[in-house]
Amino acid sequence: MMSATARPPVLHLEAIVSGYDGLDVLKGVSLTVHAGDFVTVVGPNGHGKSTLLKTISGLVPLRGGQISIEGQSLSGKPHETAMLGVAHVPQGDMLFAQMSVLENLLMGAYLAPDKAEIKRRLDEVYTLLPKLADRRNQIASTLSGGERRMVGIGRGLMMGGRILLIDEPSLGLAPLIIDQVYDVISQLSKAGRTILLVEENPARVEDLADHLHLLDDGAIVWSGKPAELMVRDELLATYLGG
Amino acid sequence: MTDVLMAILVAGFTSGALYALATVGLSLVWGSMGMLNMAHAAMLTLGGYVAFTVITSLGLPIALGFAGAILAGAAAGAILYFAIVRNLLKNDKSTFEANVMIATVGVGIALENAILLTYGGQPLKQPVSIAGVLRIGPLTLPWQNLLIIAVVVVMMVAVSLALGRTRMGRAIRATAQNRDAAQLMGVAVNRVYLQVLMLSGALAGICGVMVSSMTQLSPPLGNDPMLKAFIMCVVAGLGNLPGAVAAALGLALLESFVQYALGARWGFPSLLFVVIAVLIWRPSGLFGRAEIRRM
Amino acid sequence: MTDTRSMSLPTMSRSSMFRLARTDLAITLLLIAVAIALPFIVDSRYILGQIVLALFYATIASQWNLLFGFSGIFSLAQMAIFAFGGYATAMICFYFGWNVWAALVPGALGAVLFSLVVGLACLRLTGVYVALLTLAIAQAMYLLIVTDTECFVMVGSVCRQFTGGAVGFARFGDLGTRALLKTHWLVGNYAIISVLFAITMLFTYVIVKSPIGLAFRALKDNPGYAVARGVNRFQAQLLVFGISAFFTGLAGGFYAAHFQAIGPGVLSMSQLMFIIAIVVVGGVGTFWGPLVGTVVLVLADELMRESGEFRTLGLGLIIALSVVLMPKGLVGRFGDLVGWLTRRRAEPGDSKPTDSRIVQSPPPTGK
Repeated sequence: MMSATARPPVLHLEAIVSGYDGLDVLKGVSLTVHAGDFVTVVGPNGHGKSTLLKTISGLVPLRGGQISIEGQSLSGKPHETAMLGVAHVPQGDMLFAQMSVLENLLMGAYLAPDKAEIKRRLDEVYTLLPKLADRRNQIASTLSGGERRMVGIGRGLMMGGRILLIDEPSLGLAPLIIDQVYDVISQLSKAGRTILLVEENPARVEDLADHLHLLDDGAIVWSGKPAELMVRDELLATYLGG
Repeated sequence: MTDVLMAILVAGFTSGALYALATVGLSLVWGSMGMLNMAHAAMLTLGGYVAFTVITSLGLPIALGFAGAILAGAAAGAILYFAIVRNLLKNDKSTFEANVMIATVGVGIALENAILLTYGGQPLKQPVSIAGVLRIGPLTLPWQNLLIIAVVVVMMVAVSLALGRTRMGRAIRATAQNRDAAQLMGVAVNRVYLQVLMLSGALAGICGVMVSSMTQLSPPLGNDPMLKAFIMCVVAGLGNLPGAVAAALGLALLESFVQYALGARWGFPSLLFVVIAVLIWRPSGLFGRAEIRRM
Repeated sequence: MTDTRSMSLPTMSRSSMFRLARTDLAITLLLIAVAIALPFIVDSRYILGQIVLALFYATIASQWNLLFGFSGIFSLAQMAIFAFGGYATAMICFYFGWNVWAALVPGALGAVLFSLVVGLACLRLTGVYVALLTLAIAQAMYLLIVTDTECFVMVGSVCRQFTGGAVGFARFGDLGTRALLKTHWLVGNYAIISVLFAITMLFTYVIVKSPIGLAFRALKDNPGYAVARGVNRFQAQLLVFGISAFFTGLAGGFYAAHFQAIGPGVLSMSQLMFIIAIVVVGGVGTFWGPLVGTVVLVLADELMRESGEFRTLGLGLIIALSVVLMPKGLVGRFGDLVGWLTRRRAEPGDSKPTDSRIVQSPPPTGK
């Protein structure tokens, strides 16, 4: 394997600032994700985790700093970011509620070059998430919460991008379903996908993430291996409520 | 008695088909971009006059008249996008809804008046018409009405295929259902908006030809169908296409029954009573999803 | 409701509020001076007549601005309410033989009642649904009047419909200025309508600056928050429908009395568009916007009258372009300019606030 410096990282954030209205939510966040990495950002709710992913994909405008994908700087327009291979699985799924599961997945492959590629990706998603194949003609709004999460992830996979941004995949799900969701994410990571995931609870990614950042009040306050964080009781108590 | 009933039904279905076409054009734009196009009436009129020019003044075949109306409507939609909508989208999102409405009111007035200045105010005869009736046993159906219903059905099928089966149509629906998510999938929403306005303009153009073939061409031609299309959109819930078609047919039948029973002047007020009753009962329309407004 | 006051205060410091009030007072005094001077300067009957008409426009526009600009209710029934006031006044005089002056307030109250019904129908609706419903109501009213052919009373040998039909009402009385001032009756009417406009503006100012006005604005800017802070949406919305309808309806009554006629023409789409254009060009949600818009549009209208047929076309383009080019209207643009100039002037050192001078002068109107 090549050393990380030979190729530009898949994703690089340099002191990014962004927010809503008059308020800066992110106050200079820098981080790097290399090919095949599983990087997780943890932190309390309302401290900018979702904003971080939305800023990368262009839904929230960048006010300062720089974002680059494999060395190429982003335009800030969401659809152009998608063209560069950023696949964002947003919080709360944001499915196309009146479309079927299949149509949602096909929307994921909106930028796919040809039919054969769409077919290939669809087979891949159905293999990983066989339940979606059974439900392909069901309307998204009638699915259960767990099924919707799977469609959201499947739709992100259909984008076939260079990096998968996953926003709080455990949100609002029952513990049993959360385990299933993380099982899928773990398989993706093992298959070599590059993943940037945000999560409130570091325990969920303890065994998965290669690297972990702690985001508090719009800034990264600690970085390291997950196992290192889990023994830092004072950090856990301060930022993550024990 | 059956003759009267038949006449009412034929009139109701014909105007229902026309209203449905006008309503779908409006509803499509509202559903995908949250824009109420008050210039839709003038785009309808434009289509009617362009077809007239192509067929009568240039002496070209009727099919080219239809094509001209479609192209003119689509072009009007494109101009509307580049001159108005694109600029208003850059401003604060909370002001878009009202601003685009006011701006298109202005565009509508200007377009209607430009037509008045070009063609004059006197009514003109739309050459797209077929004389005669179809007799099936005791039934007599005017060919003109059948033509209108057929054209509208063809347009509806074309629109639903375009929206349902094509990549562009899927992108339009995706934008309507979740704009942010559509963008994340790589959909350039501005291009979708342009496509939607052009599609809606083309529908308006055809609708204008059909409406004027029932009556006559005059600059305020589009106002009456648009006002009724508004009501039907509201009853159905803005942005709901199948609902819009159902509401258009239902209300048009109601209108023609009321006009027969109580006189022509009560047709429109009766529609208004229906819409008020529906809105009190369901503020987002019969088939409308309750809008969740970000507060 | 007192909570809404405190939630809006942080956006505007106390001293700047006083400064605004001082500007408003200065503008008001200037306008009064101009209004008194006008009849002495203008000797053309036509121009004075147009000025009276412009005052009607400004009154209607200010009330639509109260609804839309300050409260965010996009009602297109404004001319219908105006017409209701006019028709009610005319019909009271016509059918009961009342003096016009006695019929004005009942006519206005009729308009309030009508507006409350419209308001009730719109209560649960938002945004464009309000616009569509009110437009439909106005159109239905127009159609019902125009298509009214049933004889209600016979006037001489002429059949007269209850609503006046397509013709409307005429010769039901006037403001009494003709008998009193003879040939100078128009100046008298000008004075009366000026006072009507002044009173309307004064009340509007008081309402806008009062806690009720703040509640309206809170509902417009952030309905969820406003309701959470104890603003009663239904009450506030009906209140603004009622208040604006009173002055609009009153203006309708005076309009009918001034022209000694009222017909379905006031309900036409172009009249409504003219009012909307006035507010949009002047500045939506600004106190002086409707007046500025009236002056500009009536002048533009007069200029375009020269070019005859291009008038409506021009009006449409003006509406569309001003929304695109200056979303906050002329008043907003002027505010940007003033802000830019003050910032430029403030930059070289002298940034000491002149608070002492401002605090000494009491607030002239409002609270």
